[in-house]
Amino acid sequence: MQDGRDMEEEQTVRELSHDEFDPNGTLALIAVYFVILLAMWVFMYFVEFLGNELTVVG
Amino acid sequence: MGSALETGTPSFVDRFPQEASVVKAALTSSFIALFLGAVFGLIQGLHRTDVFRFLDSQYYYTVLTAHGVLMVVSFTIFFLVGIFTWAVVRSLDRPVEDIRYTWAWYGLMVVGTLMAVVAILGGFVPSTELSADVLYTFYAPLQAHPLFYGGLAIFIIGTWLAGADWFRSWYAWKQEHPDERIPLQTFMVLTTMLMWYIATIGIAIAVVGFLLPWSLGLIESVNPLLTRTLFWFWGHPVVYFWLMPAYLLWYTVLPSISGGRLFSDPLARVVFVLFLLLSTPVGIHHQYVDPGIAEGFKLIAMTNTMFLLLPSLLTAFTVVASMEHGARQRGGSGLFGWLRALPWRNPAFTGMALAGLMFAAGGFSGMINAGMNINYLIHNTLWVPGHFHLTVGTAVALTFMAASYWLWPQLTNKPLFSRPIALTQTVVWFVGMALMSNAMHVMGLFGVPRRTAEPQYEGFEFVASFGSITELRMQLALGATLLFISTVLFVSNIALSTGSPTRTGLGQPLSKPLSPAADSPEVLDNLKLWFGIAMVLVVLAYMLPLASIVGDSGVIDRGVSAAPVMIDLLTGLNPVTAVTEAVSRLSVAIVGVVP
Amino acid sequence: MNIHSYEKIWLVVAILLIVGFISTVTYGATAVGIDMVDDEGGTVNASALDEDPRFSEPRVEQVGDNEYEAYVIAQQYIFNPDPIRVPANSTVTFFITSPDVIHGFEIVGTNANTMVIPGQVAKITVNFNDPGEYGIVCHEYCGSGHHTMEGSVVVQPEDEFEPGGDE
Ligand code: HEM
Ligand SMILES: [Cu+2]
Ligand SMILES: [Cu+2]
Repeated sequence: MQDGRDMEEEQTVRELSHDEFDPNGTLALIAVYFVILLAMWVFMYFVEFLGNELTVVG
Repeated sequence: MGSALETGTPSFVDRFPQEASVVKAALTSSFIALFLGAVFGLIQGLHRTDVFRFLDSQYYYTVLTAHGVLMVVSFTIFFLVGIFTWAVVRSLDRPVEDIRYTWAWYGLMVVGTLMAVVAILGGFVPSTELSADVLYTFYAPLQAHPLFYGGLAIFIIGTWLAGADWFRSWYAWKQEHPDERIPLQTFMVLTTMLMWYIATIGIAIAVVGFLLPWSLGLIESVNPLLTRTLFWFWGHPVVYFWLMPAYLLWYTVLPSISGGRLFSDPLARVVFVLFLLLSTPVGIHHQYVDPGIAEGFKLIAMTNTMFLLLPSLLTAFTVVASMEHGARQRGGSGLFGWLRALPWRNPAFTGMALAGLMFAAGGFSGMINAGMNINYLIHNTLWVPGHFHLTVGTAVALTFMAASYWLWPQLTNKPLFSRPIALTQTVVWFVGMALMSNAMHVMGLFGVPRRTAEPQYEGFEFVASFGSITELRMQLALGATLLFISTVLFVSNIALSTGSPTRTGLGQPLSKPLSPAADSPEVLDNLKLWFGIAMVLVVLAYMLPLASIVGDSGVIDRGVSAAPVMIDLLTGLNPVTAVTEAVSRLSVAIVGVVP
Repeated sequence: MNIHSYEKIWLVVAILLIVGFISTVTYGATAVGIDMVDDEGGTVNASALDEDPRFSEPRVEQVGDNEYEAYVIAQQYIFNPDPIRVPANSTVTFFITSPDVIHGFEIVGTNANTMVIPGQVAKITVNFNDPGEYGIVCHEYCGSGHHTMEGSVVVQPEDEFEPGGDE
């Protein structure tokens, strides 16, 4: 602890090489992020922006 | 444990004591700027929400200029030069070529900063001519004291020389290692600096070519649209200049801290090349609602901007995958369960992870900013500071603080004063920023402007479609207070660490990438090629807009006269009365609360 | 190059997202007809607005059946004319410029939002439907009194409206 590294940082229980490792969790997280982005974009553009008053038409 | 201490990895300062001193000096300058910036930030957060006002509102803009400049010029860039020096020396595994030269550019940057800061703080003293209440964007024809522009110029020159230092190290290294790939960290530093050299052309012309001579009275007027466009020529890529050191840390340090390895070195290189190519030809996206610029140019800037999302989206994947790799090596399992296996008790990890999370949110509001016509909705509203406090104000700032917890002991051979305080600090920042930034975004949507001391008007009121403006103000002020507390915790933790006992073996090795550089085509390391393409893209994006601005209203617009920013002596409170009044208001407030 | 298949998937999805964003904005520009402020308003001599045919007299002027033009000066720290009176059910083109420093012009809580730059003329056209009142704020820092800079747009019932620059 005092030497600046936690015991928990040392606990490598197995070594995974590039070929043994598929980042499934990352793919899942990023898919969730993608869905949020898409939904928020649609909401912001079509509801907040286009639904707002005074469109600049010229 | 005792023997581990003796045999542990040598730290950076053990290996490169002279370089460690420069890095420490740069980081110290950066933290001083951060602390002062946070003081001003708190004043703003309380003033513009009408929670606590102790300065006359005209001084708000002095405060805001100081906050902007200290945070996004001094704090970020001093940290950058420190971390880049560390990264180049570490990854090339060789000392700088001439340490006196290294100190010289650092010295120039300090001198430049002091000049600018003195000019800005002069704004608090109405009896001097010194003043630079022009905000960090210094749009002409608002005119600051020449000291301000001179300081900026010297500071930028310092960064140029710093870049030359790193190129020099690389060149010397290459003579000895002719067939090797550029080490990843050095690659990142060099591509970032190439981007910086291109970007600073804009600000150099604006400041040295126009604003400085104009403030000295050598030229009579300037073309405000031209200097503004030159400002944004630099003003967008500077965003990536702040961000790249954070990316460097996410790519090369975060995986090791997570107990894993970088997922892909080649992809990291691709990402940095994309930033070099695309960071500059986009600046006009800050001018979507400027008159005098044709819509076509705005459309081109938007297309480039949107594609500039790509390297960041790729980064999100690679960095999270590297963390997942660490978690799985540490025994984590399940689709989301591995998240629990991450070292959440390590402040360096937690700080960077929370910073990354906020960047995901900031990325979204940035996408809105980037959408050419939706920009009408939020342009210059409080939404915009809401956005960049997530990006530069957290993704960058919190990553820097977290990385300091990891790096500082290796620069000093002294362990951190307190890890629990450090962990608390990162969480408090996250919570504070969530509150402040959320309130800013929402108020922005209701039309509340940014950069305004008292956004309360006589003729109308802002309408909140949900919540209330008062509630949002309180949320903003509370967030600002938490952020200030967090900054104090950070700075004092680092400062107190100087009192820790000296130890050996504090070095923290970095893990190797899973997919190494050798997996990527050599052409990625052809810096000349990428620099050339980047220049071509910039010329294509800017030649016509600049030509048309000059064609329409000249290099210099004689109709525009300077508006020096002097505080009006009659209405200006002098600082003595301001402070007395503050004390009396504070005591009234305290008496009011204490029963 | 050794790129994991998931990365390839994400790369494609990310590009689709970007293309989607650009398409949405293009849809807004074409199908909805949202126009950006640009160089159509032309330039002006900022120190001689009083001699300029457009700005010597800030005003609202009828130019067609339901079409009006508003010539507005934003200066430290007022908008002129103030209020800007326009009739309901009209199309109003604002021409806005500044004799001193850069200002902002935002009809509060709406999408009508532009920068005002000395020497340049910002031109935006909007449609007003119902009678009512809007605030205007200057949203760009323009000097020590910036926070006092406000104005208003009064949309009057058609039968009560008379064009001209009253104030
Ligand atoms: C202690 C934490 C902080 C607090 C309480 C804070 C608060 C604020 C507030 C309330 C504003 C809005 C002012 C306005 O538009 O009227 C602001 C603006 C700004 N902040 Fe912060 N901030 C903090 C940290 C940071 C950090 C870490 C950065 C960047 C590294 C940053 C960069 C900026 C910039 C660039 C502006 C805009 C200045 C301008 O409009 O000219 N802030 N800040
Ligand atoms: Cu930008
Ligand atoms: Cu203003």
